[in-house]
Amino acid sequence: MEWANDKSKGGVLAHLERLETQMSRSCKNLEDPPRETAESDLGTKIHKLRCLRDKLRAEVKQRQARIKASTANAEPDQTLEISEQEAVGGKEENMKAILQAYRFTGLSGKRTSRGVCVCISTAFEGNLLDSYFVDLVIQKPLRIHHHSVPVFIPLEEISAKYLQTNIQHFLFCLCEYLNAYAGRKYQADQLQRDFAAFLAGPLQRNSLCNLLSFTYKVEPQGRSFPFCARLLYKDLTTTLPTDVTITYQGTDASSTSWEEQRASHENLFFTKPLYQVFTSFARNGERLDMSLVS
Amino acid sequence: MDARRAEIRALEAEIAALRRACEEPRAPGEDTSRARKSLQEIHQSDSGEWAASKDLRGHLGHLESELLFLSTLTGINIINYSMKTEDLTSTENTEKSIKKVLQRHRLSGNCHMITFQLEFQILEVQNKESLSSVITDLNIIMEPTEYSELSEFVSRAEDRRDLLMFFRSLHFFVEWCEYRKCTFEHFKEKYSEAVRLPEGAASSCMVVQSPRQPGFELVIIWRIQIDEEGKVLPKLDLLTKVPQQGRCLVHSHDHHRPVRC
Repeated sequence: MEWANDKSKGGVLAHLERLETQMSRSCKNLEDPPRETAESDLGTKIHKLRCLRDKLRAEVKQRQARIKASTANAEPDQTLEISEQEAVGGKEENMKAILQAYRFTGLSGKRTSRGVCVCISTAFEGNLLDSYFVDLVIQKPLRIHHHSVPVFIPLEEISAKYLQTNIQHFLFCLCEYLNAYAGRKYQADQLQRDFAAFLAGPLQRNSLCNLLSFTYKVEPQGRSFPFCARLLYKDLTTTLPTDVTITYQGTDASSTSWEEQRASHENLFFTKPLYQVFTSFARNGERLDMSLVS
Repeated sequence: MDARRAEIRALEAEIAALRRACEEPRAPGEDTSRARKSLQEIHQSDSGEWAASKDLRGHLGHLESELLFLSTLTGINIINYSMKTEDLTSTENTEKSIKKVLQRHRLSGNCHMITFQLEFQILEVQNKESLSSVITDLNIIMEPTEYSELSEFVSRAEDRRDLLMFFRSLHFFVEWCEYRKCTFEHFKEKYSEAVRLPEGAASSCMVVQSPRQPGFELVIIWRIQIDEEGKVLPKLDLLTKVPQQGRCLVHSHDHHRPVRC
């Protein structure tokens, strides 16, 4: 849209108009939005805006009264009241803080001259991990200007499916993939860092962290590493493996207790994150030690 | 002249904010086209204004539209947020160049008809190699509490301190509830004689019966469940209610067929 005249005034008016058409469902009874007027009609415009504002204030009060009346047991709806006061008072600080707080929902962002830059935050079990951004250019068709999504995440596939038709779905889907990747990476890093004593050599993994291979033992004191694990995470939106193969490569292969252990390990790897599996190995090992001592 | 323009801008900002406060629960699916629309608005309205003034009212308008975009996109409307920090670094930590800070966050808002208040703590530990941020405590209060499926989900989120999953699942759960409500209301309106909503449109069951054969009933149970991973799944069950005399009819025609979705 082009506004040949005073750009700043035209811009805000157009913005107001669009907000109004968007909310026409909830504000059917209000008068038409003020049209673009010549300089000399400022007075009339102000008058119209004042009437509109007063109507809206009354409506907001009505809503609050309705909500208060219908939730007799609940506490007074302070959040709505605060919202009106602060929004009307225009507290910039609060709005800025709220914009920052959106990162806790997984998606936040800010405007750019081209459109909007969306920031996707990731976390795994309460650990806040890396954020990634996607810079969108508002054009037809919508496109990605640049991004920080790792190359092994199927961004092209996801954007081909959803970007043009459903931005929300596109971003939620991307969020899922990124969170799952961040969770798998965190598990692998943590295993390497905190349970290195249980591993024979470094963990083998691919960049997507969906194929892990390692040799391990369950007793910290033991000198051999009898078990070999291969974990495959076929579903890129999960943090638990879809395929688990544990092989026993110790010398007394005929013993049934090894087979039992192997099977129970497989089950553990399917259902628990890596560090939890090894924490339980460590705990069992401690119990074994205690029984030997006493 | 300037005073009038300033007044116009102030009024427009106020009106925009009041309209936000007026917002009623939207029909699902609208959110996605709204997200796109508000995305376009953000761009179109200010491509000229962007590089220009730092005028406070204009700036407020920018922030307003950013907030609107995010609340439309995530389905979560954050109304209030505050944070306090406390430095927990001990002298021993300082010697080893380790810094520990405890953040206390308070957040409140709503997701359509459900309001929430969150209090959570984040412990940030900075050492020479890295910075780690861990949510150490999470408390969630939600209203209304009639959605029984939610209370289990909330305790799970609190136990796991999984804030992101909480918001994401809440959004999808509420969206599904809206779908269900719209669907039930639609059928009730169209076939008002045959359809009954014994627990209201916001509940999980709808009863269909023919006015001519009142003994026979089809009960559609539409539950919305949140699984261990936080995925929101609708679960449909169809129950049939047949009076004693009707049983032999049903069996002889072999119509009986359970429906699972």
